[in-house]
Amino acid sequence: MPERLRKALTTGAVFAVVLVFLVLIGFQVTAAQLIGSLLGNAGTTAISGRSGLGLDMLIFFALIGLWAGMSAAPRRTPDLWSHALEGAALAGGLAGMVLGLLAFLVAWLNAAGVQMSTYLAQLVPSTIKLFTLNLSASRIALLDFVLIVLSALLGAVLARGVIRASWPRALNDRLGRPLERLLGLGNRAIHKASANRISRYGLYGLILLFALMLPQWIGPFWNYTLGTVGIYVLLGLGLNVVVGLAGLLDLGYVAFYSIGAYTVALLTAPQPHHLLWSFWIALPIGIAVAALSGVLLGVPVLRLRGDYLAIVTLGFGEILGTLARSDALTSFTGGPMGIKDVAGPTLFGRTFASGADYLYLMAIGAVVIIFITMRLQNSRVGRAWVAMREDETVARAMGVNTLVQKLLAFGIGAAFAGLGGVFFASRNQFTGPDDYTIMVSINVLCLVIVGGMGNMPGVIAGALVLKGLPEVLRQLEDYRLVAFGALLVVMMIVRPEGILPSRRRRLEMHADESLPEPEKTGSPSPERATHDDVRA
Amino acid sequence: MQQVVPLRTRISLTPYQIAQIVIGISFSIYLIYRFYAVLIVERTYGPDTWLRLVISGVVLGAVYGLIAIGYTLVYGILFMINFAHGDIMMVGAFGGYFVFEALRALPVQGGSFLDVYPIPSVLLAFAGGMGISAVGGYFLEKIAYRPLRSAPRLVPLISAIGASIFLENAAQLLFGSQRRDYVNPAVLARGSGWNLSVAGSTVVLTYTGVFTFVLSVLILIGLYLLVQRTRLGRAMRAVAENKPVAALMGIDVDGVISRTFIISGALAGAAGVMWGIHLGLVYYNVGFIPGIKAFTAAVLGGIGNIPGAMLGGLFLGVVEALGPPILGWSFQLADVIAFAILVLVLVFRPTGILGEVLTEAKV
Repeated sequence: MPERLRKALTTGAVFAVVLVFLVLIGFQVTAAQLIGSLLGNAGTTAISGRSGLGLDMLIFFALIGLWAGMSAAPRRTPDLWSHALEGAALAGGLAGMVLGLLAFLVAWLNAAGVQMSTYLAQLVPSTIKLFTLNLSASRIALLDFVLIVLSALLGAVLARGVIRASWPRALNDRLGRPLERLLGLGNRAIHKASANRISRYGLYGLILLFALMLPQWIGPFWNYTLGTVGIYVLLGLGLNVVVGLAGLLDLGYVAFYSIGAYTVALLTAPQPHHLLWSFWIALPIGIAVAALSGVLLGVPVLRLRGDYLAIVTLGFGEILGTLARSDALTSFTGGPMGIKDVAGPTLFGRTFASGADYLYLMAIGAVVIIFITMRLQNSRVGRAWVAMREDETVARAMGVNTLVQKLLAFGIGAAFAGLGGVFFASRNQFTGPDDYTIMVSINVLCLVIVGGMGNMPGVIAGALVLKGLPEVLRQLEDYRLVAFGALLVVMMIVRPEGILPSRRRRLEMHADESLPEPEKTGSPSPERATHDDVRA
Repeated sequence: MQQVVPLRTRISLTPYQIAQIVIGISFSIYLIYRFYAVLIVERTYGPDTWLRLVISGVVLGAVYGLIAIGYTLVYGILFMINFAHGDIMMVGAFGGYFVFEALRALPVQGGSFLDVYPIPSVLLAFAGGMGISAVGGYFLEKIAYRPLRSAPRLVPLISAIGASIFLENAAQLLFGSQRRDYVNPAVLARGSGWNLSVAGSTVVLTYTGVFTFVLSVLILIGLYLLVQRTRLGRAMRAVAENKPVAALMGIDVDGVISRTFIISGALAGAAGVMWGIHLGLVYYNVGFIPGIKAFTAAVLGGIGNIPGAMLGGLFLGVVEALGPPILGWSFQLADVIAFAILVLVLVFRPTGILGEVLTEAKV
């Protein structure tokens, strides 16, 4: 079989697997609803079958078929029409056949009265009804097959003129580069504006005014959502110091977050210790305790590097989580029930209660953190961190006291997480072990990496995208974590430096692109070229 | 021949080593005291309870050991923690579960296929679980790790974490978040077994436990022979030693790495099916905690060391079972003991108890 036909079949197989997976996790329903609300026909028909939502679902399948056809069309010369159509027909045919087969099976089993949702949780009757459009098994199978094949052929026709690069670079070019250029333009405009003192202060004033007014304009729902994002911004900025600047992969970051939250809760809540301290006293104590625990964790793991460090910190996080969940510490931390009635701050007789109030607090916290990090980043300490991240041995040889620097990074990162925890506990007026699972660490790590390691605007953008977007697109909530996982993998392959990388990081990650391709035998990494002469 | 022996060796200790020694000694003293207190003074538990704990620890440890071998194989070759390995085990556990469910629904003369033909059923379940896990391992490597072979070290680790999140949550979406009961063939019913009488009370040596332990040991022996005696095993060791030179010797490095992932996936799948048969529950993140513990076991035995991984698993299982009563903690805290061992071993003896087989220093 010629190479190109094999490639087309591989593409078809990939799309077939993706289609089956999407159907089995019930994504076609959500996608149909989203498309429906975009087209403005949502809710006009309940899940009944042939019109409305069913049509939206078919549009969704057609879009995937289109994509399959586009990727199956060969891109290199000679790009004959016949080759493109042949490839698309093969890929679309395979994907369509598999989807049709699935539809046939589902419709047939459903007609036979088999309860599929016992084993496949998403195949509940309403989903099955939508998926099969109330048609008989053979008809829906045929419909799906024809739909995918036709859309794949259309995709090939579109692709022949449009896409000529391989997909990772294409994706990067299409999404990343324009975004960068856009942001670069914005950056340059800000730079130009800040060159002049008057316009600079005017700009700051405008931003400040906007930030001050924003929580008043948007309702309580948005304030709460933004508050959640804000807490993750704080956490992300803290982890950015540890992972992004110092290069220490910490998977137990949630520990410091929980320590901050529990400290403020224990000090201010009536149960279990009845201390009832003021929030303003508990706040610095919470931060200090978190920072101290960061340093204490740092001491034993100083010698470890890379992935061993990741696993040890993960272990620490799990130890704390297990302790908090168990009954052993019930008298001290409230055990599995958590701690209720955590105090909020009061200022000049006014209690901070609404989401907007906390938004202001968090904004102040974030500004302080950004200021501290910026000063550190450009200081001797920051340069030592970066040197350590690049090569610990060399950094030590250059006279960097790696011991002190690592502890400092751990302590500062933990302090920032502690601040986030303090705000979190006091905003929710509650803290319990279920809020501090490994998923928090992973979420924060995701947003730091996706946003751009070592770059604060990137981290903030990451928090907005990864925490804010799912809140806005509520329907997608169920699929958030699956998408996160896939996003992390794709990100590492396509754009390991994140959406908004620091300049230095981007140069590092793409250092080899100007060099000839390394041979494909999977030889161990050639030593990375360092670009220390490039100042960010 | 006479050797020159230095007359006097200078002993110089760094503060770190002093701390190690101090912590080690004080911990040992505390442990001895606890042993004395629990076994001789308090006598909280009779020998029957201790035996029960040891049995459960050994069986669980065998499963940890099997998973740990997968970590060791992959780490030995790629120097990366295959963070999604525990989730590959989960995939295998589900594979076995569905085979059992399908066979249970298959009517034959005298009942369901599952109960009438237990041996073929179990074989089919293992074939299903190991097969799906092997496929999972193969594609995991191909999609998430191979493009990153020459990237900085944190990049594949993050990709592995992503793959792990993806697998867990995909399983949750596909199969729901409820815990599912593994229904074994009637012969292997959980809880039934040989009754031993110890100190006046009965200790049940369950069939599932014995089955799990014996099968793990058999798999371990098979794997050891594979790595030591076959062409593929020699290729694997060569690739672990030095990839470019192995390639120069005519070894298909990518192929060997793929096959390593297939083998480690199949082992994880076997462990998953055993987990289901012995402990009886599968759910979408069933692999997470055993995955971390198995990594501990792999490090404990010395990364790259196959018998070490098995011994590390057994040791961890037993310590986890015996630790809480000896330290006087509640059994909820068994995980704390396992993770504490992980931290202590990585911090104080990252080469493991039996020592690394690898030549270079990886830590």
